[in-house]
Amino acid sequence: MSQRTMVVDLDRCFGCKSCEVACKQENGVALGCTWNKVLTVGPSGTYPKVEMYYLPAMCQECKDAPCVKACPTGSSYKNSDGVVLIDKEKCIGCRYCMMACPYGVRTFNEETKVVEKCTLCTQLQAVGQEPACVKICPAKCRFVGDSDDPNSEVAKVINAAGSDSVHGLPDVGNKPSTRYILHRKTATWKE
Amino acid sequence: MSIQWPLVFFTLFVGLGCGTFVGSVLLTEWAGKAKQIRTISSMIAIVALGIGGIASTLHLGHPERMFGALAHPTSGIFMESTMIFLLGLTIVVYLLAIRRNASEPVCKSIGTIGIVLGVVLAFVNGDAYVMASIPAWNTWILPVLYVISAALMGCFSTGILIARAENADATALAVIKKAALAILAIQTVLLAAYLGHIAIAPYPDATRSMARILTGNLALLFWGGLVLAGLLAPAALMTRFYMNKARNISALATVQLGLACVLVAGVAFRVLMFSVGSSVRQFF
Repeated sequence: MSQRTMVVDLDRCFGCKSCEVACKQENGVALGCTWNKVLTVGPSGTYPKVEMYYLPAMCQECKDAPCVKACPTGSSYKNSDGVVLIDKEKCIGCRYCMMACPYGVRTFNEETKVVEKCTLCTQLQAVGQEPACVKICPAKCRFVGDSDDPNSEVAKVINAAGSDSVHGLPDVGNKPSTRYILHRKTATWKE
Repeated sequence: MSIQWPLVFFTLFVGLGCGTFVGSVLLTEWAGKAKQIRTISSMIAIVALGIGGIASTLHLGHPERMFGALAHPTSGIFMESTMIFLLGLTIVVYLLAIRRNASEPVCKSIGTIGIVLGVVLAFVNGDAYVMASIPAWNTWILPVLYVISAALMGCFSTGILIARAENADATALAVIKKAALAILAIQTVLLAAYLGHIAIAPYPDATRSMARILTGNLALLFWGGLVLAGLLAPAALMTRFYMNKARNISALATVQLGLACVLVAGVAFRVLMFSVGSSVRQFF
């Protein structure tokens, strides 16, 4: 099995949103649509013990993707490398996949009337390049690779961080594969 | 989730169609009352299903690709489409049987198949929204509420047809009134249970909080649309009517008002459902 996914080191992310811009540019994401968004979590706590971190949100490349199950036409599908993709020629724009996504990270393009999402820049990876958000990140906090391969960069980054500092978004049976690294010294992970 | 108006009217009209046909068949074929409404009620049911079906296509970005749904027959949208087609077909066969003066057992059998399909369709309409990704929707109470909502609309629409009919059967109207009161009681319990579900649903969030529903920006929708228009007003209408105290209001006006109330409540409930239908984490 193969599960290409993304790991984001939140200890390093400083919320510059370069990844948002690079994603828009590379994929021609329409005005009003979002494939990748950097959220601010916090600040929380009481001065002087105040903490905050940035959370880049995008498709979590679920292993048991509910969007794929909900799609009536098979437009949403899991690629052989585990990435969830959308065949826009098959999409009927019913938006059930948007309802089925636990994180609301799909977007409806009002112009083309189809649903879109992060593709992990499959078109770039096919020619041996990294996704646009990974390439542009000035903090080098994004990593992409096969999480099922222990020799991949993402697996090594996860192992190096230690299990206590590796987090995932809430799992409601969908098994999100994206991982976030956040050490307690930076901030406390908010579920 | 933003309010999906085409889906609001899709489920509302499909519910009205299911309720009207089921109510009519139960009353005419099973209780043997007001047989003169069989044709008109069936025609109204099929028109309502048609309007609902058209409303659903307005929600699609590319309805011309709809046949692609044949590739995934277990999806909610496929099951809804199939059930609408099957119920519509059953109603057409039922109308043909009436037209050709088929025997009572034949009409009753076809009608009974329609009852089963109607109840299942109303349930499937709600069940399509039951998903773990949206905590406020992830409960079996939701599809049951859709069934009860359809039953209530069916009660009042059938009541209107009886009240409008020549030689209106007073005993049939009495049955409608009793049924409406019973369904209202069930709906009250279900609504309370649904609120309870939202209150204890995992991953609490301000977008789907009790405070937002009871005292926040959804309070008018809840108290005005669901409680007043959906429960108190129809219950008052039916109770006064039932106890024969409202002599100055005709039976027809009473059930017409009742239907208007439950239609408003039906829209209010669906709008409320979409309003609290935020994902576990709504990032975009």
